[in-house]
Amino acid sequence: MKRAFFVIFLIMMVTSWLAAETKFKMELWNRWTYARADGETIQNEMALKRGYFRLEPKFGQNISGRFNLDFFSDDGPDDGVGIKLKYAYLDFVNLIPIRGSKLTAGLMKTYFGTIYDWDYTTIDKDPSDKYKFVSSTDYGVGIFGYVPNGLGSYAVNLYNGEGYKKTGSDINKDMNINANLRLTPIPGVTVGGSYMMQTKNDDEIDGEKNPDRQENTLIAGMSKLVYGHASLLTQYLMKTVSLPNVDDAEDVTTSVISLMPAYKLNNIFDVVARYDIYDPDTDTDDDGESTFIGGVNYHIMRDAKNAPKLLVQANYQITSYEDAKDDESELMVQLRWIFSETFK
Amino acid sequence: MYKKTVIIIALLALVAIPAFAKRGNKVTIAGSTTVLPIAQSCAEEFMNCHPDVNISVRGGGSSVGIASIIAGTVDIGDASRHIKDKELVQAREMGINPVENVVANDGIVVIVNPANSIKALSLDQVKDIYTGKFLNWKEIGGPNMPIVVISRDVSSGTFEVFKEKVMQGTAGIDGALMLASNNAVVSTVASTPGAIGYAGLGYVTSSIKVLSIEGVMPSKKTIQSGEYPISRTLHMYTNGKAKGNVKLFLDFVLSPAGQKIVEAQGFVKAN
Repeated sequence: MKRAFFVIFLIMMVTSWLAAETKFKMELWNRWTYARADGETIQNEMALKRGYFRLEPKFGQNISGRFNLDFFSDDGPDDGVGIKLKYAYLDFVNLIPIRGSKLTAGLMKTYFGTIYDWDYTTIDKDPSDKYKFVSSTDYGVGIFGYVPNGLGSYAVNLYNGEGYKKTGSDINKDMNINANLRLTPIPGVTVGGSYMMQTKNDDEIDGEKNPDRQENTLIAGMSKLVYGHASLLTQYLMKTVSLPNVDDAEDVTTSVISLMPAYKLNNIFDVVARYDIYDPDTDTDDDGESTFIGGVNYHIMRDAKNAPKLLVQANYQITSYEDAKDDESELMVQLRWIFSETFK
Repeated sequence: MYKKTVIIIALLALVAIPAFAKRGNKVTIAGSTTVLPIAQSCAEEFMNCHPDVNISVRGGGSSVGIASIIAGTVDIGDASRHIKDKELVQAREMGINPVENVVANDGIVVIVNPANSIKALSLDQVKDIYTGKFLNWKEIGGPNMPIVVISRDVSSGTFEVFKEKVMQGTAGIDGALMLASNNAVVSTVASTPGAIGYAGLGYVTSSIKVLSIEGVMPSKKTIQSGEYPISRTLHMYTNGKAKGNVKLFLDFVLSPAGQKIVEAQGFVKAN
């Protein structure tokens, strides 16, 4: 583990040294979580929920990259910290003859729903990530570009389909196809949609691999409305798992509806809320859950470009289950601190 | 369940309240250090005629000017380059409609220390100096003196324009001194015999020597006509069409009186 970390770190540093210009960034999330269910405390802990060290080298005007190491104090093995390589990709601008487009290759963003530009307005993850629709990054190759006149962006990608956390010989080797389009026809009104097709073959019949593939179809629709200091992000996610490789198996459809209103009181305080409805199988009753989140963001410090530099987030979250299970409530207070510098 | 519904409705109601915060008679400007002297001088003159209006002006670089417009923290974002695709999409998603107001023309002048005998360079020679191909002035007909490369920092619009018009996609030299303002470039070149740098026309002083590029000297005439190869427009971005005091101020900058200030600062008036 330590050796792997050292090798990756060394590669990152050598790459940045070779670059014409490199941006270093470090972000740390210190979080206290207090959770209760069934009248009892089930969690009361402080942790470095996430920390990342990022290098963004530019190898000239047409080639740039991003390398990201993620640290987790509560998600690691016995030594108390987990380290994962989250991003390792290169962007090639002007390689394809479409103005404003770039070719990306490596461990890169997953352009599905809002996962690729999720900024953690609430502490919780993006719905696609939280409800295990897709992983936030994956190994692949793709094209990303901007629609002229600031009308939006598009992406077409080919991924491994197993994200960045799985390792070993057990991973599915089928490719994922993904397309994403986001349009802003008028300022403040954004609509978008994503499609992803996955195939898998991890089912066996009588000890033999089944040649037919499991097919997963994922669809995301989003809209974002911004008016003055108020915004409302809505998202609908649907995943259909078809099992033509298993006799008498029926399709399973999972859906998520997510609403996230936010109001910027001033440049220091935001009031945020979120309501998710998760249905793991739309054909089954009483298996769903809903989560309400309410909270405040306190921006202690911002950088020259007004991006957060020192931020305290406080969220109260209630999850209700349709079955007999009791509600779970969670109070989270998180300190996010970010520092970055560009070196030439 | 009832309690939760009330909380949700209360929060939605809060979000639905539109932002009608009154800005008063204050106009805030931030961004490009190249546009900074134009903004400052025009603001001073404008406030003399409109004592009830308070204009605050700060620099930071073009990226900061555009980011500030996107964040809604300023009324005017100064930039010495055009807004990028990424910034435009980001702005529109945030409900911001960046409108570009061209307030002046400018040339990026290539400067050396007056002790240097070099008088003219081609664009390729400038590029070769900045990529590290030439390390001594004697390689291009100058004195036997190491070349000290001075550049602007990466958040500067001047840097972006120089990168686009001179470097044409190639990487800059490792070890170039990256400075945060035009003034810093001019004063460093003035005090370093082997130095080469670049800055906006408005920053030229007698302490440095301006080189002709591709046989054209930067001047008001050659910049306005586009004959000088490293010329550009300077901008003040607003969210939508300017209104109220912001419009009054922009109208002043573009008026004959405002354009006189533009020229007095060493820039070329807007076409």
